[in-house]
Amino acid sequence: MKIMVCIKQVPDDSVKIELDESTGKPSVEGVEPIVNAFDTYALEMAARFLETGIEGEITTITMGDENSKSSIKNCLAVGASHGYVLHDDLFEGSDAQGTAYALGCAVRKIARDEGGDFDIVFCGIETSDETSGQTGPMLAESLGYSLVTNVIALEKKDGVLHVKQETEDGYNIVETPMPCVLTAARPNYDPRYPTIKSKMAARKMPIGELSAADIGARSDKTGESASLVKTIELAAPPKRKAGIKINEEDIEEASLKAFSIMTDANVL
Amino acid sequence: MTDRNVFVYIETADGESVKVGPEMLAPAREAAGGGKVTAVIIDAQSDQAAEKALIYGADAVITAACEAAPPENTVGILTAMAEKYGPDIIMIGSTPAGRETAPRLAARIGAGCVTDVNALDITDEGIVWTTPLFGGTILENVGISTDVQVVTIRSGAFKCGEAGDPSGEIIPEEIIMQDGDVKTKIIDSVVEISEQVNLEDAEIIVTGGKGMGTEEDFQKIQELADVLGATVGATRPVIEAGWTSRAHQVGQSGKIVSPKLYIAFGVSGATQHITGMIGSDYIVAVNKDEDAPIFDVADIGIVGDAKKVLPIFIEECRKLKGI
Ligand SMILES: Cc1cc2nc3c(=O)[nH]c(=O)nc-3n(C[C@H](O)[C@H](O)[C@H](O)COP(=O)(O)OP(=O)(O)OC[C@H]3O[C@@H](n4cnc5c(N)ncnc54)[C@H](O)[C@@H]3O)c2cc1C
Repeated sequence: MKIMVCIKQVPDDSVKIELDESTGKPSVEGVEPIVNAFDTYALEMAARFLETGIEGEITTITMGDENSKSSIKNCLAVGASHGYVLHDDLFEGSDAQGTAYALGCAVRKIARDEGGDFDIVFCGIETSDETSGQTGPMLAESLGYSLVTNVIALEKKDGVLHVKQETEDGYNIVETPMPCVLTAARPNYDPRYPTIKSKMAARKMPIGELSAADIGARSDKTGESASLVKTIELAAPPKRKAGIKINEEDIEEASLKAFSIMTDANVL
Repeated sequence: MTDRNVFVYIETADGESVKVGPEMLAPAREAAGGGKVTAVIIDAQSDQAAEKALIYGADAVITAACEAAPPENTVGILTAMAEKYGPDIIMIGSTPAGRETAPRLAARIGAGCVTDVNALDITDEGIVWTTPLFGGTILENVGISTDVQVVTIRSGAFKCGEAGDPSGEIIPEEIIMQDGDVKTKIIDSVVEISEQVNLEDAEIIVTGGKGMGTEEDFQKIQELADVLGATVGATRPVIEAGWTSRAHQVGQSGKIVSPKLYIAFGVSGATQHITGMIGSDYIVAVNKDEDAPIFDVADIGIVGDAKKVLPIFIEECRKLKGI
């Protein structure tokens, strides 16, 4: 079983990112880069799946700059065996389709090099920066694979892949052929932490670097000029008008004060 | 003003349109200019949803009778219909199924795709779609350069238009599925959450966060909700602690809500939560940490112990409501 987990490095999602009015860009300066949460869930689910006694390996890939290597290292310390960074000036300014196309080319190229197709290509359902959730489904289209979204567990039954898919009121068990693309939702556990030992080992593992030429990506399919969706501008959301903060010793008094403001405002 | 033909795919559940379905007809009309707004419904029982679409402003409805339409079927059917009718814009609701359908459809027909649209602006250069970044702390305005544009619309971002007469044509379509369209199979469907929780239509929501401390204290949120005729909301850690079911989750991976009043007890105000409730008209927050980010969006903030404030609120509401 060969599993590819696609990850993205994003700014720490516990930090509130706002628009920097002076640059017109998100205020990500100095915010620690992390692996996108849903991608860590994909990696953890893949690792647990293989730990049920299935022989196989996990490869991780990210499209990003030099810095993204540190995120791949982190993945190598928590279950992945191989890591790749897909980097080229050509990819700059790609929209989701350009990204999915490039990832698709890379998945095929690595499969050829490592001798054999990936059975599962796993993505997070969305990233915390763009929150658009398009990459996984578009990657499935680009590769021509089947797709199951909102995945919270995997199981192999009689040689067939059974995927647990979260639904509004419970879950589905979905049978899917392989190769397939899956997108991960949040399972009901946290991903494992690296140990000192696994971190040391990860540090020594090589990380492959792939350019657009290496994967045979065409310039009319990825990058800014191929982008079908163009950013016009970023804007700050409308500010809510400043509220009233009641900070008093006597909690009963504070509560009653708040309550009377609410009744005056006619919201109850 | 450019005239555009707009397709609105209206997802259904048990024969009824999902909430965002009719809501999309308002922005669809705006985008259409003098063009035609056509609702598309894929369901064996489409009568109710079709009538509703006509009432809320569709010029016509195309129906495709198909037992349960998992996204895989939907993508195939919508692709065929897009090819046949050549719409300029295809709008899809930002539901889990919609968020799967739209990018796949866009990839298949070579269209640009924008998800989670919560506003639009018609300009001489084209349509500007607004979509949140970083869970809504930044808004991105984008344009799509392809002839066909695929967008998903956030639930609650647009209000349903005025109800009118259900006039307009209903066009039943043959379903032509391509071989290999359907690759996956749902072999079991398990319902774990039987309660009906309608956060999206709630006028008042009372939410408890991890700061409620214990499951027992969290349950008192329900008491206040009962007095107010409100719906109970929850943060993700509360659900993970098992204090209530996932159906109550508000936020990025829960429900996007827009009640008239949102009261939050012991909620820190992480962006992933704020994104789900920022559309509320009036926000009241109780948190013992005076620097909690929830206060940044609150109309009234009480710095203090939520467990002490809650019973006082229950009592006062009882008096107010005479119960
Ligand atoms: C990918 C992703 C998706 C997510 N999606 C969601 C989502 O959809 N919805 C969601 O809610 N979260 C979501 N989260 C989690 C989110 O980041 C926060 O962790 C979560 O919202 C915090 O919940 P909380 O405010 O209940 O808990 P905490 O952050 O633990 O805050 C508890 C608050 O209670 C206060 N408090 C403690 N005791 C008291 C007391 N006695 N009286 C008053 N105040 C008290 C504390 O000061 C604190 O501010 C997501 C996270 C990720 C990474």
